[in-house]
Amino acid sequence: MSVAQPAEAAQDTVLATVADMIREILGGEDLAELDIDMETRFGDDLELESIDMVALSESLEAHYGDRVNFAAFVAEMELDEIISLTVGRLVDYVVASLRAAEES
Amino acid sequence: MSRFLFVVPPLVGHINPAAAVAGELAARGHEVAWAGHPGLLGRLLTRQDPVFPVDTPEEKPRPAGLRGFAALKHLWEEGFVPLAEAMEPGVERAIRAFHPDVAVVDQQTVAGALVAERSGLPFVTSMTTSAELLGAAGTPKVDEWIRERLGELRQRIGDGRAAYDPRFSPLLTLAFTTVDLVGPYPDPGGPVAFVGPALAERPDDPGFPWDWVDADPDRRLVLLTMGTVNSEAGARFLSEAVEAVRARPGRLRAVVADPGGALGEEPFRDDHVLIARSVPQGALLERAAAVVCHAGHNTVAEALWNGVPLVVAPIRDDQPAVAMQVTEAGAGVRVRFARADRQSVGAALDTVLDNPVYAAAARRIGDSFRAAGGAAAAASHVEKLAADA
Repeated sequence: MSVAQPAEAAQDTVLATVADMIREILGGEDLAELDIDMETRFGDDLELESIDMVALSESLEAHYGDRVNFAAFVAEMELDEIISLTVGRLVDYVVASLRAAEES
Repeated sequence: MSRFLFVVPPLVGHINPAAAVAGELAARGHEVAWAGHPGLLGRLLTRQDPVFPVDTPEEKPRPAGLRGFAALKHLWEEGFVPLAEAMEPGVERAIRAFHPDVAVVDQQTVAGALVAERSGLPFVTSMTTSAELLGAAGTPKVDEWIRERLGELRQRIGDGRAAYDPRFSPLLTLAFTTVDLVGPYPDPGGPVAFVGPALAERPDDPGFPWDWVDADPDRRLVLLTMGTVNSEAGARFLSEAVEAVRARPGRLRAVVADPGGALGEEPFRDDHVLIARSVPQGALLERAAAVVCHAGHNTVAEALWNGVPLVVAPIRDDQPAVAMQVTEAGAGVRVRFARADRQSVGAALDTVLDNPVYAAAARRIGDSFRAAGGAAAAASHVEKLAADA
């Protein structure tokens, strides 16, 4: 497994990566104007369905390998937490996972 | 001969497949009765089966913006749970009065399963859409939340000692689809019979202007039907899809079903587009080259039955799951209901119309539907259970 570059775990780097994945999943349409920031909600703002969350999980795994376990992250979440889930909360989780992987 | 009680919600798409099965059972000499909304059943049933009225909660329209998990929560809290509680006394009266051997209960009228279970009455689940079968993939606490709501209901109106999931009968679930469309699914805890769609015979629509359709057989016909959309987002999507067809004037024409009048109060037609409040969907699908729809289970089933590929723009509830089945099976392309514009809908139409693999996949699923046996196969399954009961 490759050694993570320090910058990879920076919050803005992760946000840009995750935002690209989301645009890819929403896909097919002109999404350049779609702002995705830390406050963006998966449900209210992006209208991501449960099946899209599965696709996002696959994208994260393809990019980060087993350093980020999205399935475990979502599996822990109550219905109301999923409804109000923000991109920022996922980004924070990815950042924490990458740092933990660097240290181990 | 046996006695069958059908328990149904006040939803046309759920009653029609059940009515097809009931008709088949009646034709074989069995006795059939209904527990459901008397007005709606009166309109939809073609035979004079006894109807035991049940109360249904007053319909409160859901906020149009509600989608995804928020819509799921609302559907259970404001939909299925109050529906079960309102229906419970009527289902109880129907069982006492009719003495059925077997109940056939719609998956979404949980009162049917729970009252049957506490009465010791064998029941079959009628699953008219396949989304529940796929479960809450990857979100176990969401599934847990649904099971908690079902558990609370069971304490109030079912047999509190029972432990199985009442959305799936331990005896049998009738799935009005096939594995060719559904794809792999987790074990729901009871047997599932895939009988394919039981399409209702639709009454002729004598007022429909078939001359408009017949006038131009050279351009390919698109059917655009999104159910009753009256939200701003629905009107936006419909008009973008219409513009996508208009942008292909030499190749395409469209019949647009607009039951909510989202595109205007009056019916409309010109050389390219015909817009009507109601359209004879089944007959049109026999001639259509593509369908643009919200991925409602019945519309998808009817399109595939006719081998017609789809552009699906799911809005909520079971629609995203059904849309995913369509794309995974290769019979259509998904666009985003909330974001798609004339370019993306047009590109999706070009894809499913120009690449013959989409129509081929649609025909293959249509073949699997016909081979599954439909209402007759469903009737044979429940007949056998009644004989064993």
